[in-house]
Order: sequence, then structure tokens, then C-alpha cells
Amino acid sequence: MTKTIMVVDDSSSVRQMMAFTLENAGYDVVEAEDGQDALKKLNSSPVNMIVTDLNMPNVNGFDLIRSIRSKPEYKYIPIVVLTTESHDEKKQESKEAGATGWITKPFKPDQLIGVINKVMPQ
Amino acid sequence: MTEEAAAESWQYLSFNLDQEIYALNIIQVKEVLDYTEITKVPKMPDFMRGVINLRGKVVPVVDLRLKFGMPETEKTVDTCIIIIEITLDGESTSLGALADSVREVLTLKPDLIEPPPKIGMRLKTEFIKGMGKKDDEFIIILDVDSVFSAEELVSVQDAEEEIDTVNSEDQPEQTETVQKEGGQVLST
Amino acid sequence: MDAQKETFMEEARELLVKLESALLELEVVPDDTDQIDRAFRALHTIKGSGAMFGFDDIAEFTHDIETVFELLRDRKIAVTGELVSLSLSVCDQIKVMLEAYIGGPPADKDEAERILMSFREMVPEQDIGIKQPEEAPEKLHPHEEDESLGAEVTYRISFRPDRDILKNGTNPIHLLNELRALGECDITAHMEETPLLKDYAQEACYIYWDIVLTTGRGLNAIKDVFIFVEDTSDIKINVVDDGQDVNVSVDTKRLGEILVDRGDVSNDKLQSMLKNQKRIGEILVEKDVVCGGKVEVALAEQKHVKRTHEKIWRAAQTASVRVPAERLDELVDLVGELVTVQARLTQKAVHENDPELTAIAEDVENLTGGLRDNTMSVRMIQIGITFTSFRRLVRDLSADLGKNIVLKTSGGETELDKTVIDRLNDPMVHIIRNCIDHGIEFPDVRIQSNKPEMGTIHLSAEHSGAHVLIKISDDGAGLDPVAIMEKAEKNNIISKEIELSEKEIAQLVFAPGFSTAKEVTDVSGRGVGLDVVKRNVEALRGSVDINSKKGEGTTITLRLPLTLAIIEGFLVEIGGDKYILPLSSVEECVELRKEDSDQIGDSNILNVRGEIIPYVRLRKSFESLGEPPELEHVVITDVNGDRVGFVVDNVIGSYQTVIKSLGRAMRQSEDVSGATILGDGTVALILNIDKLVKAA
Repeated sequence: MTKTIMVVDDSSSVRQMMAFTLENAGYDVVEAEDGQDALKKLNSSPVNMIVTDLNMPNVNGFDLIRSIRSKPEYKYIPIVVLTTESHDEKKQESKEAGATGWITKPFKPDQLIGVINKVMPQ
Repeated sequence: MTEEAAAESWQYLSFNLDQEIYALNIIQVKEVLDYTEITKVPKMPDFMRGVINLRGKVVPVVDLRLKFGMPETEKTVDTCIIIIEITLDGESTSLGALADSVREVLTLKPDLIEPPPKIGMRLKTEFIKGMGKKDDEFIIILDVDSVFSAEELVSVQDAEEEIDTVNSEDQPEQTETVQKEGGQVLST
Repeated sequence: MDAQKETFMEEARELLVKLESALLELEVVPDDTDQIDRAFRALHTIKGSGAMFGFDDIAEFTHDIETVFELLRDRKIAVTGELVSLSLSVCDQIKVMLEAYIGGPPADKDEAERILMSFREMVPEQDIGIKQPEEAPEKLHPHEEDESLGAEVTYRISFRPDRDILKNGTNPIHLLNELRALGECDITAHMEETPLLKDYAQEACYIYWDIVLTTGRGLNAIKDVFIFVEDTSDIKINVVDDGQDVNVSVDTKRLGEILVDRGDVSNDKLQSMLKNQKRIGEILVEKDVVCGGKVEVALAEQKHVKRTHEKIWRAAQTASVRVPAERLDELVDLVGELVTVQARLTQKAVHENDPELTAIAEDVENLTGGLRDNTMSVRMIQIGITFTSFRRLVRDLSADLGKNIVLKTSGGETELDKTVIDRLNDPMVHIIRNCIDHGIEFPDVRIQSNKPEMGTIHLSAEHSGAHVLIKISDDGAGLDPVAIMEKAEKNNIISKEIELSEKEIAQLVFAPGFSTAKEVTDVSGRGVGLDVVKRNVEALRGSVDINSKKGEGTTITLRLPLTLAIIEGFLVEIGGDKYILPLSSVEECVELRKEDSDQIGDSNILNVRGEIIPYVRLRKSFESLGEPPELEHVVITDVNGDRVGFVVDNVIGSYQTVIKSLGRAMRQSEDVSGATILGDGTVALILNIDKLVKAA
């Protein structure tokens, strides 16, 4: 069964790049431009995994993760955050919010696939 | 050399070729087969009659009559193939020789073997190791290594030329060679 | 510029507009947090996406400014008019930097530096310090690890995840599976801490694991598995066995030792317990069950068994078996016999018309086919080893001659029969020597002719049907047709009148007694020419071809059969005799009626569906007696790329051909490359079609 991954980022170029990469790898992709958009789309289309940026307008990444984890159906969904910094504090903060893993920007397409495979093996 | 080995080397297999009796040292004879169908190999000298299947091995067959300038062997119930083992270019290999019929295994002591006559032979003197005699019949003992040497197997010379060559050669030297080879037989 | 970069450019322009408007708003209302947020996010995205799409200068420049806005957002500093105007100049600077990517004027680096300096002055000392030039990018993504296999090391891994691990969407099973993928893995799950149902929290993970893993991927590969959980879980990784002293002690650790190792029992405690324990032998002797001597014998036996186990164990370590080559040859001979006998059985079965016998014959046929393929594959070895052995040759010889030559190889994994490879060595050495000596020019000559100083010899191997093509090419001077013709005429290889194509001229170097080198050298001018190479390769039922372009180099192609022992043959009949053509060369068969052949006459050309095909009358070549049948057949074959027909009396069909040598006594017959024994015990000759075509 094809798995669906939601990518949340306010940068359309990053979204486009991720969608392109993931679709090539055989996933279905739902795009959302910020946390609010993501939460709205989650209600209408179920997903198997979420990749989200942290700094976003309206609902930021941390709040998004917390909201998702509060939903029973997404309690155990893998969530990967995109961070620009290799700093531990952001990772720590996102983990506390409930993120499964992270990937540091800038990343190459195959690095993204590597992380996806790690938290959600096929 | 043990006595047994020496005795064996005095044993010869005799066979008929066009009314003459020839013999091969038994050491070089592996077996004698009934005539079997021979597959002709194109573009070979006439005396190379072709190849046969010897229990899974492909073995060439030589018509000694043609090699010695006699008329071609005609197949009769007595026709047989003598399988001999020779050394070619340092490698031992099997070869079949067509004979009109096989006679017997006989013992010829070295002192009963004489050098070949210097003239009047149909085949090259170096093909002959010596002449034996039994029941008043002459037996021509062949020098297998020389009959089936690498050069001889590819040669397409006809027999007449061979006779000419023999006659024109220096005879004392020939005798010497033969005696030396006779000595080799003894020491085998 | 690719589509993704264009998307980024577009996006960045939009973001700059947003940034600018946010800044202008801030100029009016300095503490508008929404605007600070907007500005920060714009900078953040420009930085992040810029780095992703290769706009490194922009990412770097934006980095420090983003830091300042982070401080603003966290209210560590306040918005000032100066800061706003400086930020506006940042906007302009980024714009210039962006446009520079699509042909605009290059950005002024000094201006960028000046802006950054001013920013730094504005910020409290201790805060700007946090972001010095970016640290080396994190290298913790699994795919970035070096996955090359090292020595196999055994690790003991203790993985005690955080109780809340499931709440982060982490599935520990995935992690364990990832470990399994690394190598031989034994996993023990500990459930001891799982509480009773009434105390059980549904989302908690009470299980922890002990894993023994043997892998050659290294410690980092293991750490990578736990990268997302390492700071919350308790993970211990220890080396148990580094695979170094495995031959010294075959003994696996005893239970007590392992417990001590794991820290579950202290060594002292273990030793004191052991002291109290009597050996079984002592107990038995004490109780008078057996006498001391018998115990000694039993102990000796035990020791012996252990030693034997060691031997077996060591033998089992090698996954392959070495077998003397002669035994393989014997095996192939025996399989050959079997194939022949099987052919007889099949023939007999057909003759007897007994269904049961036919079924048995078919089974034997299948089994024999399998055995044959298997035996042949055992004899196949890769040519790569042979290729590698030439490195030294090239290195030494080129150094001797003062030439600069590199040897490149490809297709080393191509497999060939061992005999073929063994017998290939000499011809290849010869050709490579020729390349080094006559082919590749001296460095100064190469430079003069605009070539790289370093000459290249390339060895390659590839499959081509039932053959393997081995190419030896150099980028040297190539053959000089004029020089070759002169030489050939001088050495009476050809007469002056003959007009030859360039390809035909090149073939002359294989003629006996040909050597074009102007001076005799140690390397290849030893009086042995390429004719020897040609002869050796033909003895392997192969062929040699040469292609050369003056000034550009030479390629010699050796075309070799995959195996020398058994081939797929095509059985035909001529004048009552049977012959085999290699099936790999056969393309099709057409009928030839007497009236047609009479019409064609002696032209030896056939019209097959509009295509003109030359043919060879094998009856004529073999001087077969008797009249040809009314209906003859033409077997159309591919001979070195040309379609050539062979006229035969009758075609019988494909035949498993065990190749037999005709023996040394028959070796001068060039029309025939060997013989095989048919089901009825008669001998069929294998035709050398290359030679037959040339002779015709």
C-alpha cells in the first residue's frame, strides 16, 4: 500500500523539493504551508508520516507536533522535523514536543529518504 | 632391469600387410580391435584414414599399407586395428594402425634379430628396427617412433620417392644408426 | 538553472518583499512582535532554502542577521531605527546576490562585510558569540556513513528505551530490525519490568533489549540506528569479540564469564562459588563409581574431541573448497562421457518406442544437462585476476622504456573456462608487450601530438553470445598502413600488385615473420611475432581481430569460446558423414532445390529473401563421393559478422557436443576443430567455420 507523507514548510521551494523526492521514492505526498494548514488537512486526509519545518507562521512546528500528538489516531505517527541548526536545543525542544527524529537543512534528497526509511521502514 | 621386463621387451606382435609379416614390440601395443567404421577427416594425407571412437576417445587411424606404398587396405573379416601408444612432441598419444590380419605374439631374442638389409626394401630403412625370423619366414620389426614421428604423420610423400631417398643415401652410416637403435631396444 | 532553483529565486524575491514591508512596519511600531516574527521567518527561510538549493553565499550572509532577529524575537534586544535601516540594506544586498545568479552584476563583498560588522556592533557581545562560522555540518545521517565493510566485530548492545519512546512516534521494533540488517544478530527482550495490568500505562514502553550483533559496518553504523533516541534512551555498546584472536581460542565464553562480563555477578563471587564446586571427575572418583585412570582417559578423549571440533570449525570457516585442477578436468571428462552415454540412451529409447524407457531417458537427459551446466560453471573463473596480474608487467616495462603508461581494466567479473584463461595468459602478455613497446609513444612524442603524456592501455572483457570478447586497446600511435605494406612486401608476405583495404593491411601484422618495430628491443622484439598470438588463440577455437587508426591507437580483440569442453552443436549430414557446426553461429536454414542450385551454377551466391548470401559447398570442400540429394539444405551462419551459408545434404538438429581433440596426429587439419562421439558410437567432426570460409 502506498504510504502518504505530509510535508509542512512555509517555503514553497523546500516543499516542492521534498514532494518531488518523496513522490519519486513512491510515496504519496500532502503539502501544507504551515501548522494551521497542516492541522486542517490532517482532518480531511489521513497520513502515515509527517515531515515539518519548525519556524512557520500561524502555527509553528512545535505547536503543530503537540497538537498532532494529542490526537488519538496520530499518537504514534512518526514525525520528522526540519531544523536549520545543528544545535541540540532545537532538537531537544522538538523531541519534548513529540518529534520522532530530525533532519538538518540543508539536506540532499537521498538524505531525506534515508531518514524516512529509518522512522518508517517499508 | 629385471628378468621379467627384459623378457617382455623380446615379445612382438606380428601381423600381415600385403603378404609380408610385420611386427611391433608388444610394449607399444595397447590392444587390437576389430575393424570399425572410420570417420574420414577432410584434407588429410590418404594414409590418414580418419578417426574412430575408442571408448569415448577419438583416435586417428593410419593405413600402414598406404604409408608403405602398398595398395589401400581392403576390408575383410580379418581386418583389424592395432592401437599403439606413441610419443609425439613429448606427449603420449594413441594411434590406430590398420592391419590385414593379426598373427601372434612371439618372442624374439635380440641375438635372433638382424639389421635390415641395406637394399631391396619397400620402405624407408629407418622405419625398420630389424629383421626377425620364425619358421623360415622373415618378420619385419617396425620402429614405431620413426614410422609415426611428427614429420612422417604430416608427410604426403609417395612411396616411390621414399625408395629413391633410401637408395641414394650413404649406406655405412645407415647401418650404424640401425645398430645403435637395436642397442636401445635391448636396454629398454 | 533548474526548476527548483528557479522556484527558490521566485520565493526569495517574495520573501524579500515581505521582509521589507515587515521592516517598514517595524519602523513605525518598533515592538510589533508579529512583524518581528515575519521578518525573522523570511530571513530563516531565505537562509534555509538558500543553503538547500546551492545559494551558499546568501545562506551564509543571512545567517548572522537571522541570529540578530532571533534575539529581537526573544526580546533580548530592541528594535531601533538604525537596525531597521541596516536591515533594509540587508534586503538590498540579498537582492543583488540573488540577481548575480541570473547574470546580474556580482555582489559587493565589502558591502556585505560592512553590513555584518554593523550588525555585530549592535548586539551585546555575549549574544553574537553564539553563532560563529557554522560548525561542520552534522554527519549523523545514516547514508552519509562509510558503508564499506571492515573486519567483522561482535558487539554487545544494551538498549533500554525511554518509557515514553512510543509517544514520539518511535517504533523500537524498527530500530531492532535496522540492527538485524547490519549483520548476524541475536536479540533478547527483557519483560521483567512489565507491570501488572492495573499499573500498566498503555503508551509506555516497559521492554528493554540485549542484542549481540556481529557486523563489519563499524560502531558508527550501530550508533546511527539509535541517533534519534540516543539522548533519551540508555544505550550501551561494547565490543565482545573483534574477530582478531578467533583462531587462538575457539572456546566460547562460559556462563559464569558472561555473567561477570555483563556485571550481573562479581568475579570474586563467581570464583568463590566455583571453588566450592567439585569437578565431576573428582566426585565420581570420590564416590568410587569409576577409577581415576578411567577418568584420565575420558578427559583425554574430551580434549581430543575438542581439538577435532576445532579443526572442523576452522574448516567450516572457509566457504569455498580448493580442488586440484586435474580433478576438475577429470570431472569434466566424466561428465562428457555421461553426456555421450545419455545420447545413446535417448537414441535407444526412441528406437524401442517404450514409454517407460523414454521417461527414464528424459530424466537422465535432464539430470545430465544439469550436471553438465554445474560442472562447467565450477570451471568458470573470473578474468579479473589475470587482468590484475598485468599491472606489474605494464609498470615495469613502461619504466624500463621511459614511457608513462597506465593500465585500465573493465569487465574483470566476466567468467571464462579455467583452461581458456590459463592458455590466454601468454598471448595477452605478448599483445600488452607490443602495446607498450610499439603502440604507446614516448612522452615527448605524445606531447607533440597533443595527447596526454600518460598513455593508456585498456583491457576489457565482455560476453557476446557463446563467446567472450577480450579487448586490448591502447591510445598510442596506431598502425601505419604504409609502413606495414612496405614491410610485408619486403618480407614477401604479399606481392606489390595486391590492393588491400586498411583493415586487411592491419591483419598483415598477424602474418608469420612480420615485425614492424624499427629496432629490436628486449620487450617485444624477440623474433616472435603476433602470428604466435593468432595461432595460440585459434588453438583455443578463438579468433583475433585488429582495428587501428594511425595516430589514435590500436585495439586487438580476442574472441574466445566460453568453454572448451562442451558446446551446443548443430548436427548436419554430408555424404553419409555427420558433422557439427557450433549452434551459436547458426542463424537459419533454408532449402536448396537441385533446379535452383543448377541455376545458380558455380557463382556460390544465394538469394535469401532478397539478401545476397555467399555459400560454401561442403561436399566440394570435403571431396565427398556420390551425387548430392535432390533437396539440399543451406545452414546460414554468422562468421565474424558476415552471413555465410554452408550447403549440406541434411540437417539433423541441435546436439550436445562434447568436444574431443583429434589428437596431435591430426592437428594440421584446419577445416576441423575437433570431434565428438554420437549416440550410435560413431565420430562426428566439428567444423571450423571460420577456416572453411577463408579457404573457400
